[in-house]
Amino acid sequence: MGRIEELTEEVVRLFKNSGYEVDRRDVYNRLKLLIEEFKVPEDEAMRTVKNYLMKELDVSREQLIMESPLVKVADIKAPGQWVSLKAKVVQLWDSSSPNVSQVGLIGDETGIIKFVIWAKANKPQVEEGKCYLFANVVTDSFGGRMQVNVNRNSRIEEIDEDIQLPPKELEIVGALIAIQQNSGLIKRCKLCNRVLTKGVCPIHGQTESYDDLRVKGVIDDGENYYEVILNEENVRDLTGIGLEEAKEIAMENLDRTAVLSELKNRLLGRYYRLRGMRGQRYLLVSEIEFLKADVRKEGEEILGG
Amino acid sequence: MIAMDGRSFKREIARRVFAFELNKATHKIESGDRAVQVLLPTGVSCNRVFIVGVLLDREETRPDSDFWKVRISDPTGVFRGFVGRFQPDALESLLKIEPPEIVAVVAKIRLFEGDTTTVVTIRPEVIIPVEREVRDYWVIETAKHTLERINRMRKGGNELVELAWQVYEPDLDYYEEKVKEAVRTLLDQHAMVESETEARESEEPEEVSEEEEKAKAEESEVESWEGEEELEGVEDIESVEREEDWELEDIDEFEFEEEEWDLRDILGE
Ligand SMILES: [Zn+2]
Repeated sequence: MGRIEELTEEVVRLFKNSGYEVDRRDVYNRLKLLIEEFKVPEDEAMRTVKNYLMKELDVSREQLIMESPLVKVADIKAPGQWVSLKAKVVQLWDSSSPNVSQVGLIGDETGIIKFVIWAKANKPQVEEGKCYLFANVVTDSFGGRMQVNVNRNSRIEEIDEDIQLPPKELEIVGALIAIQQNSGLIKRCKLCNRVLTKGVCPIHGQTESYDDLRVKGVIDDGENYYEVILNEENVRDLTGIGLEEAKEIAMENLDRTAVLSELKNRLLGRYYRLRGMRGQRYLLVSEIEFLKADVRKEGEEILGG
Repeated sequence: MIAMDGRSFKREIARRVFAFELNKATHKIESGDRAVQVLLPTGVSCNRVFIVGVLLDREETRPDSDFWKVRISDPTGVFRGFVGRFQPDALESLLKIEPPEIVAVVAKIRLFEGDTTTVVTIRPEVIIPVEREVRDYWVIETAKHTLERINRMRKGGNELVELAWQVYEPDLDYYEEKVKEAVRTLLDQHAMVESETEARESEEPEEVSEEEEKAKAEESEVESWEGEEELEGVEDIESVEREEDWELEDIDEFEFEEEEWDLRDILGE
């Protein structure tokens, strides 16, 4: 399909979505004339043709659901905006809410974001791994994170494009400059694996739990920072303190937070080389080691250069 | 990164900057909802630093004030700072350290504007004893970052670079030489430590070099610290501090009360 045909389709669809039939041939000719003959920029040509049709059909801009601007995931920073995005369905989650038709993660090359398709939106189901145009969706923030909501005025259309996701694996060198709360010897909910805060699961309330060891921290390389999560294995590789050792430290001190203090002493302020998977917010570390740098060689390079 | 109210924010990056450069910074940048930044002479804004150096001493400003003055040296000069109750983690670990000792420090920057001079101080959030290798790499890394900034200054073009030219008119050749000198000092020390270690396996070489570094830092002090007296005169720096801290409480210290989703939680990995 040529460019003019594509644009024609877009116009036809726009009006069709609002319940108006327009003459495809007429639209095509007008666009072709403006763009190819008169060299009018595409968006100007589109606006001109849309305005012409609105006048012809006596439709107001409000009656016509205007297509929201096409954005990338990384551009979504504020709630309450109407946007369109082309994205791949990364993951579908189970939803127990009758109000929600589907919930999960979608992404493009700039990032990954949570999406919700409301049951009331009455949309066909999306599938994991497939790519779609999510047109006219609304940005929202929930629990401190951005998401997009698909409502009745939105449109989901499968597209024949393979949207790339952000490079999932990342290797970085940097210093661990902060270790956040909820690190050290923690308790997780037996039902959902979420970390308990003050003994309470955010979903299941007071539940049965199990112990785990992890570090949530910030790696900073002087240009960027990464929020990272080290699991028990990572922590053990670096410090020799695994879950069993951590429990011993907690017992000896009669204090679970003694583990966190010990980990801070051993880990903060040091340099690391690490690889990890980029999640929505956190880098989930797969391999990590203390940086072994050849200071002499690097120093001589600086002096030589 | 997104805050609870949906406002997007970025955590402040911890810059790598040598003492001689930081101590020359005098210009504040205030913009909107961002925490106050200091303009470095090499043309970037800076609100937080990561330093690895030698804690030379700690001194309580008044008896039982729990407000400590610290001096931390790198090969180019001395960082002056304060640790108080508003940085409980840093305070707790500071009191366990017997200087001189190599420490890693994550700190916020404060500009103290006196009558005659402007003084840069640091407010450590983290201060933790680390191994010599960490300090060595810090010197290398900070040298690289500073040389990169110097190059960007030479090229010109961006807004902060232009502002830095206006405010500081830095002698970039001198800056470059200071950076290389720091690297040279490091390599010399390195060579010395290596040969000493070989010669006397049983002895701990760190003490020697730290003392030496201390002496070196004392030497370079005259040049880098005209503001000392100005700062001594401040009776009530703690209350200044308190005010500033409320004012500047920046959003990146914010942590969600509830557990966030991380993919691992959801996937049950
Ligand atoms: Zn749960």
